[in-house]
Amino acid sequence: MTQPDIPCALSERVAAYARERRLSPPTLARWQAWPEEDKAALLVLARELQLNENHLRDFLDWLEEIAVRDRCRVADLLTAPAIQQPLTAHTARSEKLKGVKEALRKIRYPRLSRLEADLRAAVKALDLGRQVRISFPPALEGDAITVTLTARNVRELADCLTRLHQRIEDGRMQKVFDLLDQA
Amino acid sequence: MEPYRPHEILIEQGEENAAVVRRALAQLPDVPVRIVEREWERHTKLSSEGDPFAAGKRRLLFTRQRAPALHYCPAGTPGLVCCNYLVISLISNCPMDCSYCFLQEYLANNPTLKVCTNVEEVLAAVAAVVDRHPQRHFRVGTGELSDSLALDPLLGFSRNLVPFFAARPNVLLELKTKSDCVDELLYLDPKDRVVVSWSLTPPDIVDSEEHRTAPFAARLEAARRVQAAGYKVGFHLDPLIEYPDWEAGYRETVARMLAAVELRRIAWISLGSLRLTPALRTTIRRRFPHTRVLSGEQVPCIDGKWRTFQALRVHMYRTIRGWIQEAAPQVPLYLCMETAAVWAKVFGHTPACDRDVARVLTGPHLSPPVAG
Ligand code: SF4
Repeated sequence: MTQPDIPCALSERVAAYARERRLSPPTLARWQAWPEEDKAALLVLARELQLNENHLRDFLDWLEEIAVRDRCRVADLLTAPAIQQPLTAHTARSEKLKGVKEALRKIRYPRLSRLEADLRAAVKALDLGRQVRISFPPALEGDAITVTLTARNVRELADCLTRLHQRIEDGRMQKVFDLLDQA
Repeated sequence: MEPYRPHEILIEQGEENAAVVRRALAQLPDVPVRIVEREWERHTKLSSEGDPFAAGKRRLLFTRQRAPALHYCPAGTPGLVCCNYLVISLISNCPMDCSYCFLQEYLANNPTLKVCTNVEEVLAAVAAVVDRHPQRHFRVGTGELSDSLALDPLLGFSRNLVPFFAARPNVLLELKTKSDCVDELLYLDPKDRVVVSWSLTPPDIVDSEEHRTAPFAARLEAARRVQAAGYKVGFHLDPLIEYPDWEAGYRETVARMLAAVELRRIAWISLGSLRLTPALRTTIRRRFPHTRVLSGEQVPCIDGKWRTFQALRVHMYRTIRGWIQEAAPQVPLYLCMETAAVWAKVFGHTPACDRDVARVLTGPHLSPPVAG
């Protein structure tokens, strides 16, 4: 029976990846401390996305945090459709990485992601045109929104202000402020 | 709660006969003792193997306090509403080991559990400040760099502190703890000028994150006992930890807390979101890989610390404030380390200035300020 050398081989493959991508010893040690199946699942993902130190650290953080919170296994998380879909999409590697990170962030920050999506939808519904931009504080920390107007002449500026004024009058702008406060 | 037992006792040369040293040695006769030079920790290369912070907790050093005795609470940060709290540090580091404790980062380079041998001198320095300003109210705590009471059975500092503050009409002492070590307090007369307060998290968080602290029920029983002995009590729902069952957990916490004591003798209740610097998060991950405290929806805030994102923590504050104010509308409630914007969202108003918060907290417990 030669089966017992499989875990050892996995650790060696993880170590080889770490050498190849010049991962720091603490990052490698953290990864190596994971249960075998989780370790293997992350290796598949890391290879596919060519994760470097910074990205890998984000993945380690988020995956560990989700696994503790939801009492689930990392391997199950990584093989779930929400992650597999962007991972197996026929797109460039950078697009895949972006898609997987976004999907994982939604799982890691479910309420914050929902609030961000609601705010995006509310701003879109304002239909203010391309010359009025509404942005929110980073991570929605704080209670001020920023409104940026772009105008090439007085008429364009007046149009922007009219549209804004209408949205304030009909209460739709208030909804954006109210949303910012709702978790 | 397990009594604290160090692996080694170090005594700074010349401090062998300090009262606190003799008291501790009498209680720990079989712990090895070494006499060390002044500033021993600064001159000693401590091992960085394993968990140096945990090792520091098991090394008890008695040393003379030479730095100024009274400080503003380090929680005061520009941009955040502060409660004007002063701290005396008689002990540095703590025998307990909460996963989220900021001391892991703050004392990372000097983790030895240090106890001051010249408490009378320290208190004389405090007297020089507070007695010079009889017209001002002071709120003073000892629980900033350690727990106020966890080592009291060993050190007996409450015997120095309680009579000292009880004698001063313009100062309110707060002893903040996660222990149930209140026996020493029961024989002292606080003259209504000492508040003993407990930090509380839901019982399952106490069990999983607050290592070596007193169980939830034991803290409430201790609160009941000190209240019966004439002390006012306070509660800190701080850190508020967001986890999947936080609502049920905190509902139970608030209900049991308010049922345990007489409401009119609660001096204050504070709420404060868990706040972690990036470095502390790294340390926590290393020391407590299975902790739940990092799994909330935390984001970096204006002061660089990570907190539950604003809308969710405001929701938590409002929910908990609602439960407390429904059952105990008269109890002063405040937020720790929050912006004016968050205060306004939670209470519908912002304190005019930091002194406003302090006045609300100390005013009912101290005699009116002397004119002048
Ligand atoms: S009781 Fe307080 S000082 Fe002690 S470990 Fe816990 S948080 Fe830190």
